[in-house]
Amino acid sequence: MKSTKFTPARKLTKEEIDRKWWEIGDFFRRNSLWMLMYCTGCCAIELPPAMTSAYDMERLGMGPMATPRQADILLISGYLSVKSLRRVIYTYEQMSEPKYVVGLGSCPINGGIYHDSHAVINQLDQYIPVDTYVSGCMPNTESVMNGFVDLMEQIKNKTANGWVKYKENNEWYKSNQKAALGEVIIHDEFHE
Amino acid sequence: MASIEFLILLLVASSLIAYLLTKVNSFLGSVFTIFASMFVFVSLAAYGFNATLVTDVLYLPGFTFGYTYLGAFFAIIVAFVYAMVSFFHPYFIDHYKYKNAYNMLFLLSLAGVLGAFFTDNFLQLFFFFELIVWSTMFLIPLGKSKSAAVSYFAYSAAGSFAMLFGIFVMRAQVGSFDMTLGLSSLTGTNAIIVYVSFLIAAFAKLGVFPLHLWLPIAHGNAPHPFSPVLSGALVKLGAFVAVLALIRITPASGLITAINLPFAHYIVAILGAMSIVFGTLMAIREDDAKKLLAYSSMSHGGYIIVAFSLLDSVAYAGGFYHILAHALASAGAFMAIAAVARQTGTTKMSELGGIIHKMPITYIVYLVAIISMAGIPPMGGFISKWLIFQAVIDKGLIFIAVALFFGSIGSFLYVFRPLAALFLGQELPQFKKTVKEAPILMLIPMVIITLLNIYTGVLPNQLFGFINRIIGELGFAPLVTSTFEINGYNGIINPALIAGIFGFGVVIAFIIFISLKKSKQVTLMETYTAANFIHTEELLHYSVDFYAPLERLYAKYIHIMTNFFDSLANKVKELGRLSKYVFMSKYVEVAIFWIVAITAFLLWGEIL
Amino acid sequence: MIVNILIGFGIAVLGFVLQTSVAGVNRKIIGRLQKRYGPKWYQEFLDIFKLLSKRSISHGWIFDFGVIMALGGIIATAMFMPITNTFVAFAGYDNFFIFVYLLAVGMLGMAMSASGSGNPLASIGVMRALTTMLAYEVPFMIVILTVIKLSNTSSMVGIGEFQRALGNNWFLIALPLGGIVAVISLMGMLGKKPFETYIAPAEIASGPMVEYGGKQLGMLFIMHEITVFIEVSLFVHIFLGGASNIFIFLIKYFVVYTVVNLISNVNGRFKIDQVVKFYYKWPLIMAVTQAIIAIYFGWVI
Repeated sequence: MKSTKFTPARKLTKEEIDRKWWEIGDFFRRNSLWMLMYCTGCCAIELPPAMTSAYDMERLGMGPMATPRQADILLISGYLSVKSLRRVIYTYEQMSEPKYVVGLGSCPINGGIYHDSHAVINQLDQYIPVDTYVSGCMPNTESVMNGFVDLMEQIKNKTANGWVKYKENNEWYKSNQKAALGEVIIHDEFHE
Repeated sequence: MASIEFLILLLVASSLIAYLLTKVNSFLGSVFTIFASMFVFVSLAAYGFNATLVTDVLYLPGFTFGYTYLGAFFAIIVAFVYAMVSFFHPYFIDHYKYKNAYNMLFLLSLAGVLGAFFTDNFLQLFFFFELIVWSTMFLIPLGKSKSAAVSYFAYSAAGSFAMLFGIFVMRAQVGSFDMTLGLSSLTGTNAIIVYVSFLIAAFAKLGVFPLHLWLPIAHGNAPHPFSPVLSGALVKLGAFVAVLALIRITPASGLITAINLPFAHYIVAILGAMSIVFGTLMAIREDDAKKLLAYSSMSHGGYIIVAFSLLDSVAYAGGFYHILAHALASAGAFMAIAAVARQTGTTKMSELGGIIHKMPITYIVYLVAIISMAGIPPMGGFISKWLIFQAVIDKGLIFIAVALFFGSIGSFLYVFRPLAALFLGQELPQFKKTVKEAPILMLIPMVIITLLNIYTGVLPNQLFGFINRIIGELGFAPLVTSTFEINGYNGIINPALIAGIFGFGVVIAFIIFISLKKSKQVTLMETYTAANFIHTEELLHYSVDFYAPLERLYAKYIHIMTNFFDSLANKVKELGRLSKYVFMSKYVEVAIFWIVAITAFLLWGEIL
Repeated sequence: MIVNILIGFGIAVLGFVLQTSVAGVNRKIIGRLQKRYGPKWYQEFLDIFKLLSKRSISHGWIFDFGVIMALGGIIATAMFMPITNTFVAFAGYDNFFIFVYLLAVGMLGMAMSASGSGNPLASIGVMRALTTMLAYEVPFMIVILTVIKLSNTSSMVGIGEFQRALGNNWFLIALPLGGIVAVISLMGMLGKKPFETYIAPAEIASGPMVEYGGKQLGMLFIMHEITVFIEVSLFVHIFLGGASNIFIFLIKYFVVYTVVNLISNVNGRFKIDQVVKFYYKWPLIMAVTQAIIAIYFGWVI
């Protein structure tokens, strides 16, 4: 057996140093998530009890923020009509990296009870990458809190990479958006 | 050795040469103006600082000149502003209808300034005053409006004739027109009459409440390169007369023992304080950048009057330093606005936006000028305001201190408005292609003034050496300074230390900034609009009614002084109409009756 | 001189750490007040470091330069602040007016950078911040004029020592009206409700901070923490007698900040013209009355 007394300590390679910095960054990011509440649909009613004294999101470090540039999480609560999806994509691209998307309710997963409507999209994951889903119609506030804790676990395990996927597979996402919406950014103020 | 008489005659001669040269080629005439004013300034500064100016008179009959530190201080500052502004002439001269007159009157008014500050005879002072007023009065209507000159001349004439009355009263008591001896030997009611009339002249020239209505009209409508001279330099004539009146005359009035100040000086301080408050309030609501800076000159004129009315050497040092700092800051700000106006054609803030992206150096000039105007370290305005605060606090003047602090904080508001509405904000599409940075010959004087603004804030002690000589000449104890510190009554400041620590802090912040991840550059239109898609820049630029909630609180009271002066003018017109009706009616018999009656009345006193 | 600069920088860092911890503890106290758990006591540190590790956008050189000037100016101001009467970087130069006006440099830098982002909401926020500053400064400066006239010095250490001298009370007790005005002005300075108009997250989308993200927002948060440190320390030195050792200073600091935070948490938010009208009514009258009775009549408790 090789003795460890005379083996010098191994120097860390550059990737390992980067990884350690990234881990430290992840520690800060998962313990202080700020969300932009994009309350598009009915599931937004579950957010007030989560934010206030009933279930207290603030002890996890999360809090509401006013603009997308300052926020980390984009919270899609409920169904997304075609009009709203254009604005959601615009807002998602305005956020600073790294950014995460959480989908509340069944509507981002498969359309929910509006799955056969002509104006509502069915699968949010085709248009912007979603990191965590919280299913239910609508989910209980405890499930919403569970979903946030799951997101924090995902950040710890480095599987919350939606924003990296968006950058790498940008053409796939853009072609999906174009097929569903026509144009994402409206070209003048007389159209919607 | 340069002599004052030589410089004055040189300026008169070069004004005629500039007239003829501009007739031939306007660019050559303007370049000659630059050379003439730079020569005068350099010789004044070189000989004036060391008190080696020759004061003998060889050619002009009946004129006498005398060198005082007070006069030299003012003359060097005014000549400097003239010299820097003359660099703008080649680029602006073609906009004006009477180009040759512009250069000629410019140099002629500089001659008047030199004569006014270096004379020791009151009648000559009046002569040079009127020379300045008449030559600048014909310059102002070359700008935007002709009625501005009428307003300027009316107030200046009122001031000059009040001063002439005071001069004659002094001559009646003392027997000579001499400046230093005459004023100190005034006694009794004559002292009060001369004091009041000189103060009317000072208020009219400085633009202090209640004789301030000409300031925004004249400065706002003057030609763009002449506004820095009007606001930074020529209002200092009023400060010169104020110093003569407030410091050299001792009117007999009761002493208010609680604050250790004579009643007459306290009234003057109250008027200065009201000027500060009203100037600040009117500046906050202005939309035209030049009128805003004109109201700021009114506010700073109030600071100078308050400083000189306190009978205290710390306040005098603060007042003199404020004259210097305000001249430089006001000249810098007006020159930046003039450069913008040349490129875009307008000075109204509601029509401009985003100019910084095309004119960054002009922006830096304006930024340093307003930091000094607002009294923020590390620029020069902080030192003068600190000294004035020291004097006011030491005397315990509460209501004047309220006005002083209000003016100091309020000045942040109105100097920030052109910064946010004119230079920053969205870039309007009509200026994106056509606006370029100002030409190099215009940038040189602006950069020099910026560097001087910084120098007066960081190393003021050389200047305080000179100012202490002025205070000693006026008969008060000098301000205590050492190589890097300035002593007030209840504290010490070290301006170089403040500037150094500020630089150190910025370096630390820069290091933090550089070591983090680089940001992505985006355009100005990619901004947070609650996910609305935006297509027009004008709708996203916040410049109209910038301080609307504050303006609404006092919007009902702004016309009181203009209404007062309008009704005064109406009463004078009514009086004229009455006398015309009574004495000069269309019936010949009535006129003959009045002539006979008045002659009989006068002869009755003579013969009987 | 080098030693003084290093001590000053240490004071700035100490102030940042102190204020961030106190703010975190206060968030926990407010949470307990509202019958919930509240975040960890070091939550503010996590917020700031998370912001510094994100990659954000920039709108041009003035956007970045304003943030650097703001943070630099505030660090420079904090370097002059004394902690106790011996733990001070530049003894004798800690004049009151230096603090008030160097804080204005920081504000000017932030205002420049916010307006340079091109968003009208940022300019509106800056306008509200400047108007609030006009409102709270004048009554505060009148009370400070009274304090300086009574203690004959405008240095923080000097005022603190004057209050601790035998026979003198803290100025909060000696000038009661002035103390009340100072607490109200302190709430305006810190930007706490009801004077939080310049941020107003629901009305103007957080005002000047609307376009910031990532490292610029992190630096602005650091600037805000150090600003709060400077202002609360000013209050401790001028009205609560300063401190002769560091533990007393920490206790006084914590008490002042917690009391102000508790008052502000039960209030709503004023409109901006209500802020100006409020400050120019009773606080100004109380400040002037206090000045007259203290300077001219000498009725000091």
